[in-house]
Amino acid sequence: MNTRLLMILRVTVATPRSIGAVPHGTRRTVPITGGDFEGPRLRGSVLPEGSADWLLLRADGVLELDLRATLRTDDGGLIAMRSFGLRHGPPEVIEALARGEAVDPAAYYFRTTPRFETSHPACAFLNHLITVATGDRRAEGPIYTIHELL
Amino acid sequence: MNARPLMRLRLTTAATEAIGPTPHGMLSIFPITGGSFEGERLRGIVLGGADWVTAGADGTFELDLRVTLETDDSALIHMTFTGVRDDANHYFRTLPRFETAAPKYAFLNRLLAVGIGEGHRDGPVHTIEEIL
Repeated sequence: MNTRLLMILRVTVATPRSIGAVPHGTRRTVPITGGDFEGPRLRGSVLPEGSADWLLLRADGVLELDLRATLRTDDGGLIAMRSFGLRHGPPEVIEALARGEAVDPAAYYFRTTPRFETSHPACAFLNHLITVATGDRRAEGPIYTIHELL
Repeated sequence: MNARPLMRLRLTTAATEAIGPTPHGMLSIFPITGGSFEGERLRGIVLGGADWVTAGADGTFELDLRVTLETDDSALIHMTFTGVRDDANHYFRTLPRFETAAPKYAFLNRLLAVGIGEGHRDGPVHTIEEIL
């Protein structure tokens, strides 16, 4: 698999909202309060309005993530991003993450598959990219290292 | 990114059902009549399904596939992918996901994967790798 770095995306999050037990698991939503992204070809900020992550803890202990965020490039383009992901790991690691402790991201599986939509000509290449990301869950919010699949 | 091979998936398709221009583009349904898959950890046959393909105004195709896989030890696996096919740029990439109730293959429920597709006369072949 050949890839190249697309961006490093840092999002900041607010306190999760616990929806509770739903038919497919336990649902939480995490409002995104801001953030930034930077890569060789684009950089900018994360708009808090309408950006959030919908989390579903499944019965098998795997956390499904369904993030939607609006990005604004430094030259004013808007990008709609959505990414599906999975997070799981040894119970003691997941518990440490839940306590907000710093954990080596290699100790758990946190991968997502971002897709992008934009009408901004400079970023049109994003519309047809398949990308994969490794996540690093920090107390203030996750950091995603997003690679373009070549 | 680190990855390791998961399977090579060969699909056979029947005549395309051209739905035509819809609000999202030109929609065609590619019925999948069968096929096979093989990897170090699993192998078997494709029972069937289809790929819903929407052509955009810029000539790229958005793929949305659902198939059922049956392993050689009779476990059923529900597989889906979304993907992009852009023939002008030789870009045919997918994001497969799997669901199964078979304990032996439960590892599929917990992984994300990427696929590199190639068009062949008798149907597409996808080389699928697990994202580590």
